[in-house]
Formats: sequence, structure tokens, C-alpha cells
Amino acid sequence: MADLPSGATTQLKTFALKSGATVCGVADAAAFNARAPEKQRPDDLLPGARSVVVVGGAQPREGDWAATSPWVMQTMGTTERIQGVGRRLAQYIESEFGYYALYVPPGTASGDTPFLSLMLAAELAGLGSKSLAGPVLNRDHGFMYWSAVITTAPFEADAAEENPACPAPACREMWDRDRTTPCLATCPGDNGGCLSGKLENGRAVRTFYDAARCNTRVHTHWVGGFQKVLEETLNEPDRDKRKMLLYGDFFTRSLWAITYSSTNIAQCFECMRVCPAAHGLKEMK
Amino acid sequence: MTLTEQVKAVGRKAGARVVGVAAVEAFREKVPEGYRPEDILPGARSVVVAGGDGPTAGAWRSPDNRVMEITGYDLRENVAVHAMCDFIEGTLSHHAIQAPSLPVHGHEPPMSMMHAAELAGLGTRSLAAHIILNPEYGLLYYAALITTLQLEPDQPLAEPACPHPGCAAMYKRIGTTPCLRVCPACLSGTVQDGRIQQSTYDREKCHSRAQTYGIGSFQKGLLQIVNEDDPARRRTMIHSDFFTKSIQSLGFFRDSIAQCFECMRVCPVGRKYRKLQ
Repeated sequence: MADLPSGATTQLKTFALKSGATVCGVADAAAFNARAPEKQRPDDLLPGARSVVVVGGAQPREGDWAATSPWVMQTMGTTERIQGVGRRLAQYIESEFGYYALYVPPGTASGDTPFLSLMLAAELAGLGSKSLAGPVLNRDHGFMYWSAVITTAPFEADAAEENPACPAPACREMWDRDRTTPCLATCPGDNGGCLSGKLENGRAVRTFYDAARCNTRVHTHWVGGFQKVLEETLNEPDRDKRKMLLYGDFFTRSLWAITYSSTNIAQCFECMRVCPAAHGLKEMK
Repeated sequence: MTLTEQVKAVGRKAGARVVGVAAVEAFREKVPEGYRPEDILPGARSVVVAGGDGPTAGAWRSPDNRVMEITGYDLRENVAVHAMCDFIEGTLSHHAIQAPSLPVHGHEPPMSMMHAAELAGLGTRSLAAHIILNPEYGLLYYAALITTLQLEPDQPLAEPACPHPGCAAMYKRIGTTPCLRVCPACLSGTVQDGRIQQSTYDREKCHSRAQTYGIGSFQKGLLQIVNEDDPARRRTMIHSDFFTKSIQSLGFFRDSIAQCFECMRVCPVGRKYRKLQ
């Protein structure tokens, strides 16, 4: 670890945890080359990139998952908190260690394409592995949100996780018994849902994921909802119906979702709600 | 530690890179009646200004222009201002409010953060879009608070941050500076004896380039959509990348604050903080 003071990686991780991250890991920037398409690799965004620092956290609390009102989870996202940690970490790396640091923008570069896959970054940083349902799950804490910083600093890279959180023991038992898992059962791709998959030698293998369908359900009230109602309104010849569309609950919620975008991040969590591995190891009373 | 030092320490601890103080009397020379600090908070005595970091050096270095277009900023200066307001009201028992800085008519805010930063000794106007440059850190983002607490004011800087000596030498040699050369469309100016002699800035043109995605582009796109009679074309426009990004930028305003940084990219003031390993 030339040039960085000894203990720099530990110092960085301690700062990240103190700043609000639940977990922090480091991926070797070169590790992305094998799995990320060109233009979505660390070096494409920051020339000379050596490491990608990933923080995870800000996941819904167990109380959120337990809430009986669906509106709690639909309107009370917490992802913004982990983005704040990422921003802070980038500034810390530059001011404390004197290396370039680029906070990976949380939005998309174009369409649905991210600047850098945060899920891949989390995997390569040893913070979790992809689940049958899609999200990367951390073994100890389950489902969480991610933020990443690309840097020229050669921090010590972590190894990828060897034992995936998914499938959980309970899901293996269910598969042996019913040939399905909680996530596949709650959103079956062959019956109007988004997911299909199987367990093979105790490992999860996803065989189908309808991203477009999932997107319309997860982001019911976001930018897409606004565009949909706008188009319907402009196509509607009747003035009264136009008024109803614009003042309707759906459009109103879409406007709330856009303006409170960080706290109104998703409207479907069902595959994660039923996932035994998504809620972490800590038991709640 | 004096009261002023305590307030500044609270601001810096909350994330401000620099903190300065201006007396409300200092605003009277250039700010019209009705827009002065005491018109916003009766009995105001001081204005405290916080400057926060902009993009990281790594963001400036990225060859992907979209990173700078939508990368997030801390905008910690606002957090710092709120922390100082809380301290002034909670501990020092004086009124304190965040100074209103968002536009209420056209581009005009109720109170200019640029002017407040100048009066608080944090920077001076530059040839580059008249952006306030801090002599040490260059481009910073500013927020301010108004308070009834009497604080010890800082003085405006005696030596302007712009033109940088390198830019003054360049002007002497070839009659332009890095910022004027990179954006002759929006900027023009002259330098004499190492000082800005004259400077003009086409704000409307700059705005259309610096805020490609934002409220303005949303309004522009919406008007075009509403005026389009063909439903199929309307659909294409509504779901286009441009309109989608415009809507996203409304929601993620903090992450999508500007799409052109070229006059600042070439500015040498504060560049030492952008040269890392």
C-alpha cells in the first residue's frame, strides 16, 4: 500500500461507520473490468482509479417492515442518508489522504444505466452477494442501500463474500418441500410477477427477471407516473376529466414523490419483505 | 473564545469550509431599501456567511462530463447555517434565521449570497460569471444567516482573488484570461494593472447552458409538449431522455445543480486543492 499511511484503510472505515454507514468495504478498481461493461468501470469515471470504497446502510428499520400500513414503506424511504455518507467520505479521502475521490452519482447516466453499478461494487467490496430476488444482501444486516466513492488511493481491498446470505436455510427447506422460495412465491414470473429462479446445489440461480415490470411497480408514483398522467391528460378531450386526472390521488402522489424523491424511493418491497435473509441476523422484540 | 469565534467554530464543525461575518450596516451602500437584512429580520445586527465545498477534485478530473452534471454536492453550508442558527437561538438567546437565497422574481433572490460573502470577507467577484472566489479555496457555495446578535464583523478583502497573478500575466501577454477564453459567449472583460477593469456577463445565455436540466428545461419541454397536436409525437416528447432528466432534476435538485462548469474548470484560484495524487 505505497504512499498511504499504515492503517489508512482502517481509519477510513472507522470514519465511514462513524458517519452513519452500517458497513464499509473496499473493492479493487481493476476487479470491475471482468464484470462491468465499458464506460461503467471506475477508470472510465476517474482516470487512475485504484479503489472503490462502498458504504451500505440506511435500510428500512425492522419497525418499518413490521408496520401494517403499506404507506409507511411506500412514502418513507431512507436511502438519502447513505448518499450523504458517500459524499462525506469522498471529501474525507481528498482532505485526509490527498488522493482524488469521486462520489458516484446516485442517479442514472442515461435511461436506466447507472454510472457504476452500486450492487456490483458492494459485491466486489465483500459486503454482500446478489439474492434470488435481485438486491445484494449483506450476511449480517440483510437488505441495505449503497453508495460508492471511486478513488486513486490504493486502499486495501476486501475479498468478495464466500458464503452468500441467499438462500437462507429456511428458503432451502421451502425449496426442498415446495420447489419455490418466499420471494419467488410472492412475485412469480410465470403468474404476473417479476421473478423466476431455482436452487441448484444449495445456490440461488435466477432464471428470469422482468426489470420493466418491476420498475412500474417499484416506482409507481415517480417520474414515470408523472409522465403517464401528463400524456393521458393531454390526450383527454373532456375538460372535467382532465381536471380529475390532474387533481387525482395518483398524480398528486406522483408530484409528492418527485419533490420528495429521496424519501419516496419505492412503492414495492414485497420480495424483500418475505425474505428471511433481508432482515439481518439481529432479533427484534 | 469570543462569541464570534464560538459561532464560527459551530459553523466550521457543521461542515462549512469558511465562515465570515458582516455587519448589517455594510449592506446599506449597495442594497436597496426593502432588501436589507433588517428588512427581513427586524432588529438584525449581523449576517454570518458560510462557504461550503463544491465538487471534489476527483469530480473535476472525471472525463465523463455527466458526472459533474449530476454529481451530488454536500451543500453543507446550509447545514452549517442551521447549526449556527440553533446555537445562536438556543445558547445565546438571540433571533437567527437562514437568509432567503432562492429566486422569488426571475433570477432575483430576496437576499444576495454573493454580496453577503463579499461583505463578510470571504471572497471577491471574478471575471468568470462574477462567481465569488475565495482566495484560498476558489469556488465555494454560500449560505447565510441573519441574526439580532451583535458580532464582530470581518472586513471585505483588500486584495481581490481574481484575477489570479497567472491570469493577469496571461492577459498582459495575449489579451485574455483562461475563463474569458473558454467561454467568450457568456463572458467578456478587461484587466488593467492586475485588477479587473471591466467585466460583463450574459446571465441569460449562461443560465441556458449551466442549467440545461432544471426548472427552466422542464418548463420549456412542457410548453413544447402542450403545443404539440400529434399524440404520437407528444408521447415521444414526454418519455424522451431530455424531459425525463428534466423531471428528475426537479426531484434531485441537489444532485443536479449545474451542467456547465467550464469557466471554473480553467480557473487557477484554489487549484492547489484540486491537485492530488
